[in-house]
Amino acid sequence: MLEVETAVSFRPGELEVDSSGAGHLLGSRCASCGAHFFPVRQACAGCLGTDLEAVRLSTTGTLYTFSIVRQSTPEFEVPYALGYVDFSEGVRIMGQISGCDLEDIWIGMQLSLSVEPFGEDEDGNQLSGYRFRPTEAGSGGGS
Amino acid sequence: MTDVHILGVGMTRFGRHPDSDASDLGAEALLEAIADAEIDARAVEAAYCGHVFQGMVTGQRILAQVGLAGLPLTNVENACSSGATAIREASLAIRAGEHDVVVAIGTEHLTSRFRGALTPDPSDPEAAVGATMPGVYAMRARRYMEEFGMTREQLALIPVKNKGNAARNSLAHFRTPITVKEVLESRPIADPLNLHDCSPVTDGAAAVVVMSDRAAGRFANGRTVRLAASALRSGSVDVEPTSMTFEPLTWATARDAYEKAGIGPDDVDLAEVHDCFSIAEVLRVEGLGLFEQGSYPTAVERGEADIGGRLPINPSGGLIGKGHPLGGTGVAQVVEVVRQLRGEVGDRQVEGAKVGVAHCRGGKAVGIEGAACTVQVLVR
Repeated sequence: MLEVETAVSFRPGELEVDSSGAGHLLGSRCASCGAHFFPVRQACAGCLGTDLEAVRLSTTGTLYTFSIVRQSTPEFEVPYALGYVDFSEGVRIMGQISGCDLEDIWIGMQLSLSVEPFGEDEDGNQLSGYRFRPTEAGSGGGS
Repeated sequence: MTDVHILGVGMTRFGRHPDSDASDLGAEALLEAIADAEIDARAVEAAYCGHVFQGMVTGQRILAQVGLAGLPLTNVENACSSGATAIREASLAIRAGEHDVVVAIGTEHLTSRFRGALTPDPSDPEAAVGATMPGVYAMRARRYMEEFGMTREQLALIPVKNKGNAARNSLAHFRTPITVKEVLESRPIADPLNLHDCSPVTDGAAAVVVMSDRAAGRFANGRTVRLAASALRSGSVDVEPTSMTFEPLTWATARDAYEKAGIGPDDVDLAEVHDCFSIAEVLRVEGLGLFEQGSYPTAVERGEADIGGRLPINPSGGLIGKGHPLGGTGVAQVVEVVRQLRGEVGDRQVEGAKVGVAHCRGGKAVGIEGAACTVQVLVR
């Protein structure tokens, strides 16, 4: 029987990956006050409501700040760019930045969620994780 | 309700201790604190031990070494605030009237547990994407530079100040002053932070003996310092993304401490703050209300935070100069403030100091502004 290769999320509770290789980050939305959270929460920090629904978060945001990490733990190859990205739902999410030179990253740039190979499981199978890549519209300027 | 008083303090040399472990170091600090208090060890009624990576029952191993096994002992983990939290728990036991003489110990043998960049717990979503503590603080530094125009050279003045102070501290990990040029040319860790911007991997321990009014009267040794407040808070969850260049957690904890102690930021004569990275000192002192937001880099440039300046910050050398044995750090800060208020620290003495603050902030978890924060106010 032919094995069908399916992308497996490195952390299924936070990143949903579909068979096409696209994906969404998963968060919570408070049914009472509308606040959003990443990762999924069990109660709302704003109103303490417990009626939270799981939601797919939007996939494009704005870079709040970043660093080029040059010393890390053994599972991460350095250097890599690490940033905080603000999304329209009011959540700020940390992730690596890929798809551009390390010198071409700037506060305020537009970034999009990108599902990419991200380590392996215990049996050596490839896992999918997420990084943020410059969007077409936001990748042109450096000012 | 009784006040809380510190009558004895002790601290090992901070640095590399290849021939000791966390309980050896904790026992050494504890014995010194008991001797400094001039009490019989049998007067101690309870113990709290703060550490992060030293494994089960580290505090009990310390008590076993000094002959005090049998006391009620609680091990405390609150990341880099573990030792400071142990002091708070000891002070609560006194205030509650449960005990009259309690010891708090903080210890860490970090060189045997850890090397390189500290990270959040591996279960954390941010650790899973490559978060390191230097990386997180580097991001805050970059944002602060963007918002307030701080230069890289201004930031470098903080390690220069703290390692200069550490050179005057015989217990410090680093004893050699450095220059701005050396900071800027040290190995890049997470842009814009270099090696000299980071606190080192350090072994060390510290201990204090705290007492009620009744015990402090009975054991009066002429060197008593009052622990006027010992505040603790955990970080709140961000409902909206907030500024990473100000610390609501530090401010909320400081406000609790100032209110309890009946003082304000203007009354503070010196502060030991949690400078795990150069930028952290900026965020701490502004969060504590000791300097206006955005003003600290130029204040450091003018020498305001030097020993002899308007408000000396980290006269011990801080985490960057003295070293950062996680569990030991918060207790060692209090040891320094007590010795400063007693006038015992020689050529790094802050003259005439009456009120000192010790601030710790530890841990990182996804979606919260900070994990554990403590602010202690000491008054002579």
